[in-house]
Amino acid sequence: MGLVDSVELPQPIKFVFNWGRKYSLWVFNFGLACCAIEFIATSMARHDFIRLGVIPFAHGPRQADLLVVSGTLTDKMAPALQRLYQEMPEPKYVISFGSCSNCGGPYWDSYSVTKGVDQIIPVDVYVPGCPPRPEALLNGIMKLQERIGSESLRQRYTNGAERPEPIVVGADA
Amino acid sequence: MDAEALRDHLVAELGDAVESEVSYGTLTATVAPDDWRRVAELARGGPDLACNFFDFLCGVDEEATGIAVVLHVYSTSHRHHLQLRTVVPRDGGHLPTVSDLWAGANWHERETAELFGIGFDGHPNLAKLLLPEEFEGHPLRKEFALLTREAKPWPGAKEPGE
Repeated sequence: MGLVDSVELPQPIKFVFNWGRKYSLWVFNFGLACCAIEFIATSMARHDFIRLGVIPFAHGPRQADLLVVSGTLTDKMAPALQRLYQEMPEPKYVISFGSCSNCGGPYWDSYSVTKGVDQIIPVDVYVPGCPPRPEALLNGIMKLQERIGSESLRQRYTNGAERPEPIVVGADA
Repeated sequence: MDAEALRDHLVAELGDAVESEVSYGTLTATVAPDDWRRVAELARGGPDLACNFFDFLCGVDEEATGIAVVLHVYSTSHRHHLQLRTVVPRDGGHLPTVSDLWAGANWHERETAELFGIGFDGHPNLAKLLLPEEFEGHPLRKEFALLTREAKPWPGAKEPGE
């Protein structure tokens, strides 16, 4: 692919690269239900995730670094989500926001709801709640940024299959 | 017209073909599937009924009785509601379409067809509306098994007070 996947970057440059990436996360909100409203609340003045370097809203998946799936994914919508994820350029991150996208949530026994977006795409951070408060999303974003900050892009590109364990917000509380 | 006057009007027009019930101020007229189209045309075109506003059409699984189809229409000029109801057999049940009388019925009939497995004769495009194309079965029928619940039964009470 280029320099970043052929050599391990020396520490100062690696720090600068990761620092730049973690504070300019163009975010694409795949809003499917009420959780999308909480996402919007997080982007507005009171919670304001732009102060964390999360930039709403990417013009399309091809301009996005971070995908937030907020809402109920149905089996009929699943191919669209998969395609949207595939259109995003690497390195890309996924936050599964809310119980529906984590595991199906209150629709756990439904005939039409996908029981978790992780069946379709890899997830980096799970934010539990129904819906989660904006603070929970902020927490998830900060956890993701911590991980990006210490990430080795070389490892990410060469060991694509071996992803680190996903983060669950609140699991360590 | 209020619900009682509507009922008297329908009985005068249709005689024994209609079985009516008034509840919560709304008339529900039950007809045979063969009369479905005729009564719908009367509700739409009859000057005294003039139900020009389509509210909804849906199915109800009544188990051994069959699948009930309920059509709710409203008259904007007379300001009355009317519910038409019919019962079709579970296997191979079908009704004539009313989507040419109320354009809004088009999608509702598609939805009822895929979720309850009944046909609408003369419908312009009875393709699946909400379900994926490859979906098998009719999920709003009572006998449709939810696979997740086979693995884990419903954790709470099914009815209030249980």
